[in-house]
Amino acid sequence: MAQIEIRDLGIDYRKPKSNEVFSAVDSVALSVEKGEFVTIVGSSGCGKSTLLMAVAGLVSLTRGSIEIDGKQVTGPGPDRAVVFQEASLLPWRSVRGNVKFGLEMQRWNGGDLNERAMQMIRLVGLGRFSDYHPHQLSGGMRQRVNIARALAVDPEVLLMDEPFGALDAQTREIMGAELLRIWERAKKTALFVTHDIDEAIFLADKIVVMGRNPGHIKEVIKVDLPRPRNEAILDSDAFHELRKRLRAHLAEDMSSMQLVQEVA
Amino acid sequence: MRSAEITAEPAETRQLSLSFLRPSRSAVIGTLAVLAFLVLWQIAPTMGWVNGRFTSRPTEVFVAAIDIFRNDNFLYHARISLTEFVAGFALAIVVSIPLGVLLGTSKIARYLIDPPLMALYIAPTLVLLPIMVIWLGIDMAPKIAVVFLGAVFPIVLNTMAGMSEADPRFIRMARSFGATRFDIFTRVLVPGSLPALLTGLRLAVGRAVLGVIVGELFVSQAGIGYQLNLYGSAMRIDRLLVYALIVSAFGYTLTVIVRSVENKVRDWRSK
Ligand SMILES: Nc1ncnc2c1ncn2[C@@H]1O[C@H](COP(=O)(O)OP(=O)(O)OP(=O)(O)O)[C@@H](O)[C@H]1O
Ligand SMILES: [Mg+2]
Repeated sequence: MAQIEIRDLGIDYRKPKSNEVFSAVDSVALSVEKGEFVTIVGSSGCGKSTLLMAVAGLVSLTRGSIEIDGKQVTGPGPDRAVVFQEASLLPWRSVRGNVKFGLEMQRWNGGDLNERAMQMIRLVGLGRFSDYHPHQLSGGMRQRVNIARALAVDPEVLLMDEPFGALDAQTREIMGAELLRIWERAKKTALFVTHDIDEAIFLADKIVVMGRNPGHIKEVIKVDLPRPRNEAILDSDAFHELRKRLRAHLAEDMSSMQLVQEVA
Repeated sequence: MRSAEITAEPAETRQLSLSFLRPSRSAVIGTLAVLAFLVLWQIAPTMGWVNGRFTSRPTEVFVAAIDIFRNDNFLYHARISLTEFVAGFALAIVVSIPLGVLLGTSKIARYLIDPPLMALYIAPTLVLLPIMVIWLGIDMAPKIAVVFLGAVFPIVLNTMAGMSEADPRFIRMARSFGATRFDIFTRVLVPGSLPALLTGLRLAVGRAVLGVIVGELFVSQAGIGYQLNLYGSAMRIDRLLVYALIVSAFGYTLTVIVRSVENKVRDWRSK
């Protein structure tokens, strides 16, 4: 049985200042195997974050269900950890303090908190920076801390919402390769939202392409590129093929978006 | 690329270690200006530019200061004023922090109490002084009440703002790790609102000092304000200036202390 089983998922939001509801995500079905790396792509506003937050247990479901290891998701749980799209490091805590935060919240009792945190900080390559505060770090370093905080609680499933969205292209590539290295060691199931087509292919075992109005899954694409991967595969024919396919999908979405705007 | 990122020291730490070694230009200019002023003040009455009876002289003020500390029962009066200040301020803290927290975390409480609170904050609480005297007499009690009233509102309002403006992204992050409501309160809301609370305390210091002095000036039997009143009617400019300096130094020191704590805490907000 799959580790994550999403069935007929629908999430409605109430529009601000009116009673109108609108559907951010509808009829989404997806299964994710244990240890799989799944990337989610789609144009802005198509419900990627909403889907991810639903799996995290941070938004309530309007329809359908999400199961993890056969257990219904009703809220956040220690089996999942989130790396958020925006800055979410507590500015008054040091790097170590931030990495310890999740452990503290989960009343972690697997040994010394400081040691556990330091282990994770070293894993993401920030060993020398454990006493720094977030404002003293670069954007890339901050996202490493975010990842370390999520890994520290040893979740079954890692949920990442455009963790590298705010980084420049080059740092982003490095962080992607780094993440793969960590993931291959930690063997977590990963759901990873991104705008970046290359990133989506590079990381994935399978790519979920989402469309909008309401957010739905258009296609799930298997990625059979060999692992471990490095930058060389960016130039392979298989990669080019996948890139073309994804581009076509997103272009289609863009043109339908323009149509809506012209009509309105 | 990655190694560059890791070896880069944040620039601030280096700047900080050097900055206090050489006095800044503004400090030099400031000191010179004060010295020039003192010299001018000293010679002006002798030269007949001003009437020394109304301006006194730095040397006279210095002598008056020594005299006050020796023979003026200074410690007795200072103790009275300080007691009023501490009692009123402590009372204000005890009441205002829980109230600010409550108002900051409960929308309903905020809607209910915010408008009258704002009105009381803006109105000078000193207008209530005569009423306090009627109710509480001319001893320490009305001054404590006025200090309390002056200090309580800035602390409540700032604590409340700090609490209610907590970043919802932090709250969501905490929830994702299974934080309870209590965890969110103690680990996110409280540390997040600490700078605002300290700002409230700093603003309260000024108002509280004012409360003590004006309260004692208005009606009293002892205290720094009482002494001010006494020397005011005797036209002892030198002694009045000594007391004025003492009061400002007290308020200034407290404010600087709170501000330095505040800056330390707020450090992480600088970017
Ligand atoms: N709390 C909310 N209340 C109401 N509407 C919301 C809320 N959160 C998101 N939405 C709406 O739901 C839709 C999907 O939002 P979502 O954040 O999931 O998109 P996204 O695919 O993550 O976009 P992006 O790529 O820009 O991050 C959008 O139209 C958004 O306006
Ligand atoms: Mg999003």
